[in-house]
Amino acid sequence: MNHLIMLFNVPHYNPWKIWIPFYFFFTGLSAGSFLVSTLATVFGLKKFKVLALPAAISAFLLLILAPISLTMDLAQHFRFWHVLVPSYFNPTSPISYGVWLLSVYPMADLVYAYFIWKQDTRMMKILGLITIPLALSVHAYTGFVFGVVKAHAFWNTSIMPFYFLVSATVSGIALLILIYLIQSRLQRKRSGSTYDRDLLSSLTNMCVAFLGLDLFLDLSQWLVLALGSADAHLTLLTIMHDPIYVIGEILLGIVTPLLILSFPKTRGNLGWVTVASILMIVGVFFMRYSLVNVGWDVPIS
Amino acid sequence: MARYGMVIDLRRCIGCNSCTVACKSENNIPTGVWRSWVKGIEKGEYPDPSMSFLPRLCNHCDHAPCVELCPVKASYKREDGLVLIDYDRCIGCGYCVVNCPYNSRFINPIRHTADKCTFCVQRLDAGYLPACVTTCIGRARTFGDLDDPKSEISQILSSVPTQSLRPELGTDPKVFYIMPDYEVMDRVDLFGDHNYREIEDYEKEIPSQPLPGEEGGES
Repeated sequence: MNHLIMLFNVPHYNPWKIWIPFYFFFTGLSAGSFLVSTLATVFGLKKFKVLALPAAISAFLLLILAPISLTMDLAQHFRFWHVLVPSYFNPTSPISYGVWLLSVYPMADLVYAYFIWKQDTRMMKILGLITIPLALSVHAYTGFVFGVVKAHAFWNTSIMPFYFLVSATVSGIALLILIYLIQSRLQRKRSGSTYDRDLLSSLTNMCVAFLGLDLFLDLSQWLVLALGSADAHLTLLTIMHDPIYVIGEILLGIVTPLLILSFPKTRGNLGWVTVASILMIVGVFFMRYSLVNVGWDVPIS
Repeated sequence: MARYGMVIDLRRCIGCNSCTVACKSENNIPTGVWRSWVKGIEKGEYPDPSMSFLPRLCNHCDHAPCVELCPVKASYKREDGLVLIDYDRCIGCGYCVVNCPYNSRFINPIRHTADKCTFCVQRLDAGYLPACVTTCIGRARTFGDLDDPKSEISQILSSVPTQSLRPELGTDPKVFYIMPDYEVMDRVDLFGDHNYREIEDYEKEIPSQPLPGEEGGES
């Protein structure tokens, strides 16, 4: 392509603005927090028990924000109910399946939270088991929403659903670390009890593991794009020039928290752990935002 | 039942953009979005520059990703091969817009639904040809029934080699090109601003007609 001047082409704008990244962000946080909640109730890890109820409730509250974000994004807001009409259901569209999942999962989560509050161990476990596949599907389907789009090479990869789940887990654990630290601080002011170092250590270990997995998925995607088709090369060039992707998602969202939580000196310090948690949550938001916008910056015509 | 398609002969296209104007006029397309347009590039340096054109529109694919992935089945493929949108059912989610590998779709800023070239379905149903085909001064566009062996388009397709855009994606488009330049078919304008600024300037300089009911418009 030497000395080519483009005279004119039509760039139809990206229809997805800020609300879609928020939607993915909220469902991710919700799925992540819910999964941490099940560590105590379903998998019987006693030390996470104190987190079970706050996690289930925060998962539900986030799931109220999610459909609101989606409806705000539509160009025809008041027609949102069309997606729930059975005769309009499209069996080849991930979004058709997703809206049904998005309707059932919050209700299951609410019933699950109720049983945690009632401290009914048996029903907690049953509801937890029923809701786990729903929580995973609600966030994995968003990965499929991107993964099946063959028009954009950045999105059209089979690791997309898994990538979404991994970064959702990262953000969910980070959110719960913050909730736990705030809750303990308030309790300490009242009753003088201290932080459970063991619990915090387990949570940060899980963060490190999932951050490592997240980084590996990113590296895989870069390598396969680098040796892929012309569209793949264009995509890699574009994403590496995008500051929100490189600085926001990779450096601030994955590499920095990974470094903070790996070194013993900083992972024991509550201030650093708080900073790492906030960076993880913000980084996951930047991941959603850059996915939507950078995918569009690569020209397709 | 007819099965419609279009052949665009780039040996005849001079980049006059009459088709662009005819489409805008026939279908009342708002500023900043296009159902049909002509992509142009300039290659080479003085003393040997050249221009290449690629008239673009919806390809009305047989395996259209927009039809497969619409969450409410608002985009559908009619029996005669046209891919159309039910504007009353469309919720404006934009999934079809991001899915089109050819960037042919857009969200109509006045109707607030998805929109795209319809092969001038209102003209077809009345017995005419699409506006862009009728207007083309070079007779570069041929529209007709692919199933009828005696139609002009079938004669052309059986005698001249043609290409379609991004065939590796399996969308099976129904718009065929004769001798398009390989670079005009390729992705251009990486790191350019995709003409966004020009379009924004254009929208600012040329005032739009007020809508009926607004000040200055019809009541």
